[in-house]
Amino acid sequence: MTTDVEKFGTRNWGMIADLDKCTGCQACVLACQAENNIPINTQDRVERARSISWIRVERYWEGDFPDTKARFIPIMCQHCENAPCEPVCPVYASYHNSEGLNVQVYNRCVGTRYCANACPYIVRFFNYWDPVWPESLRNHLNPDVTIRSRGIMEKCSFCIQRINRTSRKAKSEGRELEDGEIQTACSAACGTHGIVFGDLNDPDSRVSKLKNNKRAFTLLEQFGTDPNVIYLAKVDPHKKGSEEGHH
Amino acid sequence: MDLENKHKDNEAKSGIFNLPKLPFNFPKLPIKLPKPPPPPTHLGDVELPKTLMYLLPIGGLFTLAFVGAIASFIITAWWGQPIPVLGFEQTFDQPINFPHTVHASTKQLDYKDADGNVMVGLGTDCTFCHRTVNKNTAAGANAYIPPVNFCANCHGVIGSEDNVQLNILRDAAGIIGEDGTSPINWRRVHRLPDHVRFVHEPHIRYLSANPEHIKGETDGVTTGPSAVCSTCHGNVASMEKVYQVEPLKMRQCVDCHRDNGAPTDCATCHH
Ligand code: HEC
Ligand code: HEC
Ligand code: HEC
Ligand code: HEC
Ligand code: HEC
Repeated sequence: MTTDVEKFGTRNWGMIADLDKCTGCQACVLACQAENNIPINTQDRVERARSISWIRVERYWEGDFPDTKARFIPIMCQHCENAPCEPVCPVYASYHNSEGLNVQVYNRCVGTRYCANACPYIVRFFNYWDPVWPESLRNHLNPDVTIRSRGIMEKCSFCIQRINRTSRKAKSEGRELEDGEIQTACSAACGTHGIVFGDLNDPDSRVSKLKNNKRAFTLLEQFGTDPNVIYLAKVDPHKKGSEEGHH
Repeated sequence: MDLENKHKDNEAKSGIFNLPKLPFNFPKLPIKLPKPPPPPTHLGDVELPKTLMYLLPIGGLFTLAFVGAIASFIITAWWGQPIPVLGFEQTFDQPINFPHTVHASTKQLDYKDADGNVMVGLGTDCTFCHRTVNKNTAAGANAYIPPVNFCANCHGVIGSEDNVQLNILRDAAGIIGEDGTSPINWRRVHRLPDHVRFVHEPHIRYLSANPEHIKGETDGVTTGPSAVCSTCHGNVASMEKVYQVEPLKMRQCVDCHRDNGAPTDCATCHH
């Protein structure tokens, strides 16, 4: 018997987000919303802190007045190798698959919300209501993505429908997947190509090369979650003692 | 040994019942309860088994509730998705009685065509109508039911002019009648729940390459993709009305995937 891993190789999907290229334009947020059938976040939902957005662009300030700088950072599910959300799930709806993805099986989920509480990145969202779309948007829904009903947890899936579809296509054409062939919705939408998606186990892939950049860091490293989303720090030419210097 | 002595004996042996005696006696009930009838031991001349003697008195409500629960479970399971036993199949009346026999079978039919001759099925390839079933496009997930105009290519001229079924089709295609074209609302026969993603292409590719895994037989074309459909759909070419033959529950999918080295990761089918 061959296991999935032997048969399909050991891919390890990862993502690089280059903060130096992030302009905070929110195109990734919009693309994600459309690709993944995410319900519309009305004002009411946002006010009650129950809005859903698998990727969000956070703004923060750096430096003291008057030298303050607005900074942006896109935050999505980090697909941690040691994901805190996985062991707490009583029904194994949240698990790690052989391709390095942290998968949420919607139909398995019973809505305990333990995972959301365990996640330090706040990227898991609970469906407090059944999703509804206005009549005019009925036909925009993506048929490859399950519509999550009320009472279950959801989060960024690294656009697994695109991963599956592209792998299937490569297989039926009898070839290997190429690096960069799979684009998640956010990486495809990023105007400055700041988000790169690929296989971290392939030493020649773009993500593997960028990962070794000295600007690379991961979020909340101190928790030891070992995320598969790696950020490249912002280069600041005006900052005193900046290693990178002028750009 | 009478009963009281026997108790005493037991108490002495076990030692655990050696509680101090109560300083008073329980008052006796002022009325005498009727004795319950003894459970029946015989049905006519036949002696009943011992266990039945204990089960019978339970009777009544409990049994009713138990049987009711089982019955309602079976009924809901049936309606949720039919179990193909006893010849019960899920099938509906479609807006047009589209016979797969006439179009897809290669066998002699007892169907009479417009000229009154007994007809041999047309033997059309399944992919002639279900065009995207073996394609890997974004729309390839669906097998594609042909649009009205596609049928009208043939039925504009084929078939008698007063065939009721065909006239519904011609009306929808705008060939007869005044109200222009309108789609036909086919009802779906096979439908997996919303949380499952099924794609035809890998299955047809795999089964075509490994014909030893094909199940069932078909009256239709036995070359190309048409040869494999019977594995999950049964002999559609012999159906006047399509019905679901296989249960298509998760177990069936995963069993086959495991046996054939296909992925069994949940994210393959649920995302
Ligand atoms: C390749 C040409 C062809 C195409 C395409 C085709 N048909 Fe037919 N169909 C036939 C022929 C030939 C007959 C037998 C005609 C006869 O009765 O003389 C037939 C018979 C029928 C009948 C049987 C009528 C009866 O007497 O019960 C129906 C209904 C029908 N077709 C519907 C359709 C529909 C719906 C489509 C589109 C999905 C379609 N057909 C596409 C060739 C075609
Ligand atoms: C002439 C066109 C035509 C051909 C050829 C044809 N089909 Fe169909 N098929 C249809 C139409 C139209 C429907 C929708 C009406 C219905 O469900 O009866 C349909 C429905 C079906 C369905 C049920 C879809 C559902 O609703 O779940 C299956 C399964 C199917 N076809 C399989 C086959 C197979 C297998 C073959 C080859 C043996 C085949 N078809 C050949 C036109 C065709
Ligand atoms: C591995 C099993 C399997 C095989 C082989 C298979 N099908 Fe299907 N088919 C399904 C399932 C499951 C569905 C229901 C899909 C859904 O609900 O999403 C389906 C649905 C359909 C439908 C309804 C429309 C749709 O796509 O949902 C048609 C038509 C159809 N199949 C035709 C075919 C034809 C033609 C072939 C042979 C070329 C074929 N199928 C081979 C499992 C199979
Ligand atoms: C007759 C055996 C069989 C049955 C039944 C079957 N499958 Fe498959 N399936 C396969 C095989 C073999 C493959 C792998 C084909 C390949 O890529 O070589 C596959 C591949 C798939 C894939 C694509 C996997 C990928 O590479 O991304 C999906 C999705 C899938 N099956 C879903 C289902 C679902 C849902 C059902 C139940 C309705 C089902 N299958 C029933 C044999 C089967
Ligand atoms: C090969 C495809 C396939 C794979 C792999 C698969 N499933 Fe399923 N699953 C299905 C299908 C098809 C159904 C729908 C069965 C039905 O019609 O009720 C289903 C139904 C379910 C249901 C039932 C939902 C309900 O309401 O009845 C649960 C829970 C579930 N799957 C969980 C899982 C988990 C957990 C895994 C991974 C260990 C998994 N599935 C892997 C195909 C698959």
